[in-house]
Amino acid sequence: MGISRDKWHKRRKTGGRMAQLRKKRKFELGRPPAMTKLGPKRIHTVRTMGGNKKYRALRLDQGNFSWGSESVTRKTRIIDVIYNASNNELVRTKTLVKSCIVQIDSTPFRQWYEAHYATPLGRKKGVKLSADDEAAINKVRSKKLMKKYEARKKVAKVETPLEEQMSAGRVLAKIASKPGKHGRCDGYVLEGKELDFYLRKVKSKKGK
Amino acid sequence: MTDVQTEKSFQKQPTVFLNKKGILTGKAKKNLRYVRNVGLGFKTPRDAIVGTYIDKKCPFAGDVSIRGRILTGRVLKLKMQRTIVIRREYLHYIKKYSRFEKRHKNMSVHLSPAFRDVKVGDTVTVGECRPLSKTVRYNVLKVSPKTGMKALKGFTKF
Repeated sequence: MGISRDKWHKRRKTGGRMAQLRKKRKFELGRPPAMTKLGPKRIHTVRTMGGNKKYRALRLDQGNFSWGSESVTRKTRIIDVIYNASNNELVRTKTLVKSCIVQIDSTPFRQWYEAHYATPLGRKKGVKLSADDEAAINKVRSKKLMKKYEARKKVAKVETPLEEQMSAGRVLAKIASKPGKHGRCDGYVLEGKELDFYLRKVKSKKGK
Repeated sequence: MTDVQTEKSFQKQPTVFLNKKGILTGKAKKNLRYVRNVGLGFKTPRDAIVGTYIDKKCPFAGDVSIRGRILTGRVLKLKMQRTIVIRREYLHYIKKYSRFEKRHKNMSVHLSPAFRDVKVGDTVTVGECRPLSKTVRYNVLKVSPKTGMKALKGFTKF
């Protein structure tokens, strides 16, 4: 193996060189990075130390994303990579890594919200809802059931930046899993202060 | 909060969930913060509980546990980001002459932002933790400011 994770090639704290005490060992090995791209799913398994497995995702297009404030998790399509704190090159090549900011398809979340709170979310003003959507939102319900939905409506408010994203059909999310290790691209929808922070970063990059 | 977010990625404590419904709509309590008690009788500084800094290597507001040795030393240099160099002095016995000689060892230790106003010459108590970098394995737990007039590089046995 070429990539080695040993310590004995580095200098000491005093600056002195360390004499090579042994050849490269297997337990010190390193492997090339996954550089997971957006595309139809392609995952290779790697046999690791002790016979365990790592799932190296080479191409992914879907992930399980959770909407924290509502505590809902849905499997959605990943549309685009828009920000990476470590390396702009990874944004250009659309590489999925932990903690990069992506745009995901917001329809599963919207569908859940409309069914749960019986209020439209992210609908453009003045556009008539299709028959199915109308049915989902204004379903005929018993009086008792309506009371439950009325109570839910009290806490149904979603913050404005998030609502705007929902109407565009794309929501910003952050990857929280390691695609090169688990073969999955899961994460959480950005909200609140974190969302403001990353929106500002993306805007300043675009401005340049 | 903007003074805290100096890096390219959003700094936050991983165990604190900032986006609960109540917080987003403004019906929030005080600022959510994860603070822990390091044990061994060390008081967590007020700045760790009240402050807004994010430091994953802080023993009070981060993800390191203090276990193993507890040592003391004198602050030598404060030039690194969130880490300092301390000087630990000791006496080494030479059997042939039945006398001692002075020796010292420098050590890089992590200094949490909870400790402000640390100056060169202060006495510092450090506790062992897991490796935080190539040379840092200790974390500052307590700072006792320098009292009286002592020569800067003078020998003080602790």
